[in-house]
Amino acid sequence: MRIFKNLGQALRGLRLNRGNTLLMTLGVMIGIASLTVIVAIGDGIKIKVLNRIANMGFGPESFSVIAGGGRMFFTRSKNTTSMTLEDAEDLLALPTVRLVVPRQRKRMKIINKKEFTSTRVYGVTPDWQLARGWEMTDGDFLSDSDLGRRKKVVVLGATPARKLFKGKESIGKMVRLENNFYVVIGLLEEKGMTESGYDPDDRALIPLTTSMSRLTHQTYLHSIKVVTLDASQVPETMETVRQVLRRNHNLSVLADDDFRFITPEGIMQWVTESEQALNRMLILISTVSLLVGGIVIMNILLVSIRERVREIGIRRCFGARRSDITFQFLFESILVSLLGGIMGVGLGLIISFGLKRFDVLPTHITVEPFILSFVFCSLIGLIFGIHPARKAAMLSPEEAIRSQ
Amino acid sequence: MNLIEMNSICKRYHNIGFETQVLEDVTLHIKEGDYVSIIGPSGAGKSTLMAIMGCLAQPTSGEYILDGEEVGKLNDRKLSRARNEKIGFVFQAFHLLPGVTALENVILPLVYAKRSPGNAKDKARELLARVGLEHRLHHTPGQLSGGEQQRVTIARSLINDPRIILADEPTGNLDSKNGIETMKTFDNLVKEGKTIVLITHDKEVAQHAGRIISILDGQIASDRRVNHAENTEVRST
Repeated sequence: MRIFKNLGQALRGLRLNRGNTLLMTLGVMIGIASLTVIVAIGDGIKIKVLNRIANMGFGPESFSVIAGGGRMFFTRSKNTTSMTLEDAEDLLALPTVRLVVPRQRKRMKIINKKEFTSTRVYGVTPDWQLARGWEMTDGDFLSDSDLGRRKKVVVLGATPARKLFKGKESIGKMVRLENNFYVVIGLLEEKGMTESGYDPDDRALIPLTTSMSRLTHQTYLHSIKVVTLDASQVPETMETVRQVLRRNHNLSVLADDDFRFITPEGIMQWVTESEQALNRMLILISTVSLLVGGIVIMNILLVSIRERVREIGIRRCFGARRSDITFQFLFESILVSLLGGIMGVGLGLIISFGLKRFDVLPTHITVEPFILSFVFCSLIGLIFGIHPARKAAMLSPEEAIRSQ
Repeated sequence: MNLIEMNSICKRYHNIGFETQVLEDVTLHIKEGDYVSIIGPSGAGKSTLMAIMGCLAQPTSGEYILDGEEVGKLNDRKLSRARNEKIGFVFQAFHLLPGVTALENVILPLVYAKRSPGNAKDKARELLARVGLEHRLHHTPGQLSGGEQQRVTIARSLINDPRIILADEPTGNLDSKNGIETMKTFDNLVKEGKTIVLITHDKEVAQHAGRIISILDGQIASDRRVNHAENTEVRST
């Protein structure tokens, strides 16, 4: 077959022009390596974001009601005073609701003698532990009697516990919040910093009643977490919750909600939106890097062909058709692209593993970018190879052989 | 029958703004088995004539019939085939593929042949042995002397068993000893029935041929037969 002979000549051409072959391969290799690394980083970050959301303690059957209107995250709600414990009790009475965790939150200094740190202090009810499913490493969680008697007790997350006690026994010891001393009764199991830098262990929990009377001096709630019996009941429960709260807060028909929901679905929507933005960015960067690789190939091919016009002339003198020349150079560019593609994929894998291994960036390696880059490589070879190949083939043999 | 038949061939090159007439109304017929020298000073149009004869360039006007086929009417595929099968080129500058072994260089025309024989390598080896290069099969052009390179090009021109050998200043880059060797090879080829067209500016080399055509300013100045009894060998100078 004539075409296989052209392929053979192409292989020989690549071997004879090692310098150019190397440069072209390098161009494609870097393009493909950056593509695969970028995709791996993008995927890694995506998974990190999803992890962080999983760590927010949302099961699919729960959602949160935050005091103050507005949308989701990011918008600081104006402090509203409308959400109360009565609201929480009313919500618990709903038939589809399993648990309700009313919550107050304040960031403040927590002190043990000379050691101190700033942490998020939450006033919660004993149901918090059930709703979060968070295990204890030592001691007990807040009890109903702690709540009923407004006891000054505290359950510490791993981060403040470490900072205040430096690994020493902490159960039964006293820590100070503002002007009151609290007894440490339990330690929460350490979850570890999420990859995005959110520290779920940086918290301290006290009874909600204690928080109201001694810490915030407020009787209204910052948020209520609602756990339904089943994930499928979330939408309908949200609607009922909305009605109950609007009625309790005496909102007129025209008034906006003075509370907002954070739902697993809302979070998912937020994640999807960020994911789409990330993907768009990835596609853009990848395309640019591939395009750069392609243009590098085309330029080097053009230069290489200029250097090899005489060779083309010789081949034409001894019977090579225009199509033979076109195919030879096309094969050369495709082979270079594939070779560069394979090496780029290898390099990309090494870099991705390296970034992950040495904790520089989260990366996640999937098959798609590799398939994609392989297809792209062949396409680049084809598209960017055709022009120089045609140009070389169109020269008249006499002109070609005379050129230097 | 005429193997090569050129009727009123003109060739003009267009440069920016002006035109150069290289060949002017050249009519030339060469029979099979002829040994023809084309002689003339540089710039006379010899090489252009050879390019047209070898189907490497097309004339601006006129008719060229090669082995009964009108070249001007052939498409690229048929032109390539004509170059491949009917003509063997020997160039002054050798025009070997750089970095490729002598053996592979000789095989090159077979790469593009319609039917390449299975014993291509044996055939190439045989031809290289014939030109005395059996010990240089795997040397690249850079490792060969000028005379050796010229012998490789001769072997290459013969591999497809063409009827015509077109040689453009084959002795131009050679010392006299190698020049004599090359001319002997051509003499032998004529005896085997090949048609040889030899382009040269060296009158003594031209004397080998049975017919000497001299070209001046793009036109045929003279066309004469040579009495071979007088010129059996080129004197070394």
